[in-house]
Amino acid sequence: MKSHLKHCVPALFLGALAIAPTAASAQGARGWRETLFVPTPQGEWTGPRLPDGQPDISGHWSNTIGNHNNLTDPQGPLGGDDEGPPREGRQNARPIKPRSERAPSRVSDPPDGQVPLQPWARAKQQEFLKYLNNPIKPEYVEPFARCAPGGPTKSFMWHGYEIRQYPGYVLFLFDSGNRVIYLDGRPHLPANLKLWNGDSRGHWQGNTLLVDTTNNNSKARLGRSGEFVSENATIQERFIFDPNGDRFTYDATYTDPTVLTRPFTITIPNRRVTDKTPPDDWNNLTFPAKHAGTEPIIEAYERVCVEGNGDHGQVVAAAK
Amino acid sequence: MSNRSLALLAVASLVFTAASAFGQTAKPEAAQNIPRTAGGKPDFSGIWQSLSGADYGLEPHLATKDGPPGAGIVVGDVIPYRPEALAERAKKFAARATADPRTKCFTLGTPRGIYSNEPFQILQRPRDLTLLYEFGHPVRTINTNGTEHPDGHIDFWLGDSRGHWEGDTLVVDVTDFNGETWLDRVGDFNSDELHLVERWSFLDRNTIRYRATFEDPKVYTRPWTIEVLLYRRLEPNVQIIENYCSTLDYDKYYPFPASNE
Repeated sequence: MKSHLKHCVPALFLGALAIAPTAASAQGARGWRETLFVPTPQGEWTGPRLPDGQPDISGHWSNTIGNHNNLTDPQGPLGGDDEGPPREGRQNARPIKPRSERAPSRVSDPPDGQVPLQPWARAKQQEFLKYLNNPIKPEYVEPFARCAPGGPTKSFMWHGYEIRQYPGYVLFLFDSGNRVIYLDGRPHLPANLKLWNGDSRGHWQGNTLLVDTTNNNSKARLGRSGEFVSENATIQERFIFDPNGDRFTYDATYTDPTVLTRPFTITIPNRRVTDKTPPDDWNNLTFPAKHAGTEPIIEAYERVCVEGNGDHGQVVAAAK
Repeated sequence: MSNRSLALLAVASLVFTAASAFGQTAKPEAAQNIPRTAGGKPDFSGIWQSLSGADYGLEPHLATKDGPPGAGIVVGDVIPYRPEALAERAKKFAARATADPRTKCFTLGTPRGIYSNEPFQILQRPRDLTLLYEFGHPVRTINTNGTEHPDGHIDFWLGDSRGHWEGDTLVVDVTDFNGETWLDRVGDFNSDELHLVERWSFLDRNTIRYRATFEDPKVYTRPWTIEVLLYRRLEPNVQIIENYCSTLDYDKYYPFPASNE
């Protein structure tokens, strides 16, 4: 075992270029991947708690429906390049099922499942999508391919991730970037500090972590499909945990009069990764820890990205 | 004076240097005054930063255009490089403006991330300490749950950290380095065979005494040690602010698309 960059770089390559050397391993996640999910209802928390009173939801998690390729059709094709028959080296290396058999749009509101972009913004999104696999300008390279953080919502549309909790904090360790949710009631950072993953303040209400995320630089697209918001966007997030500890539903309502005609909501189902979860190099990036005891302990190795992103450097150079 | 006396004198002065760095003037605060977890262990939670300037050079150094002077943090002042490693350091020094991984926004690594100029936050649970570095925003985990280094050698940027408590001192064994990181801005370095042992303890409730011993026969002729203080950041509005430094190179390509383009 030489390096664990493999979790980041080849998979990013898949996301960035659709010449998917690891499409096969993504298919290995078939047992994990689901097309339907039942949103967890908001309610009381009856599961275990930490000494500071927080519901104990720490551990490893992953979304259940797909990657960041297509926001509104998570298991569907993306653009003309991917509508052909399955072929190694294409984004849709697996057969594409009819729309009715694929996971629903991550946009749960409005009911049409689309981001309510103003007409000019829709045109910009279409332009981005048109050049996604042929980025003739640097701005058509999806920033995630350059190891930028995924942004508040798209980070949940990528590899498995870890949640750690502390008095006053919930920490998300994503495969690309990380995020601290402050629970201590401190004010937001000054408004002129715009961040890839925003500035998050949260509190618990029963089984739900309610988070107010501002200071978004909104440089990350909402999917490789190109939907976007502006740096004026605010996000109300709800992490609704099933008290059995196995699943949670992530809801994020975006408000942004600069780009949107109305607020919209992204919904992403998530499931806990345990020592019983088969390793698949995608949802489950954990390994059994070596120790003398008998209880199962899993851990994830360090997550780095830019340090091993040479191939993307070339992509980026080509795009200049 | 005989050679033996000279050697003894040298050892004595080394010991004196080491002792005078922190020991004689700065005695650890009474054990009951340091922050503790519910389980009674020292609680290192907080935002910490070195004021040592060690990132400009671990060894004593004069001011240059690149940075301020500093007395260094190496116990005994000199890193005991092997001759060929000293030549490698000279090469790195000459190329430092672009070859220092810091200039590429790469993870500073261990232990550089601790004493560099940038702050980091420690978040502590019984099972581990999480170090959230501001520069580049990487995360290091120090496992304190009795787990061991994984089998084989793995090339980690931050190494693999397994810690245990010896009284009020956190002792961390770090292996599995990738040998790609530097120790400072002037080319000091280690190989992938580095074995680092860190000792973290409180000097007082707002100061950590950080001591680390380097063992790396590929690069050094003998083990050597650094000792540095870390200060708690106490500003009321202090917060680790994301610094995905590598994004700055292409940041300009990603304003959200404006409607008037």
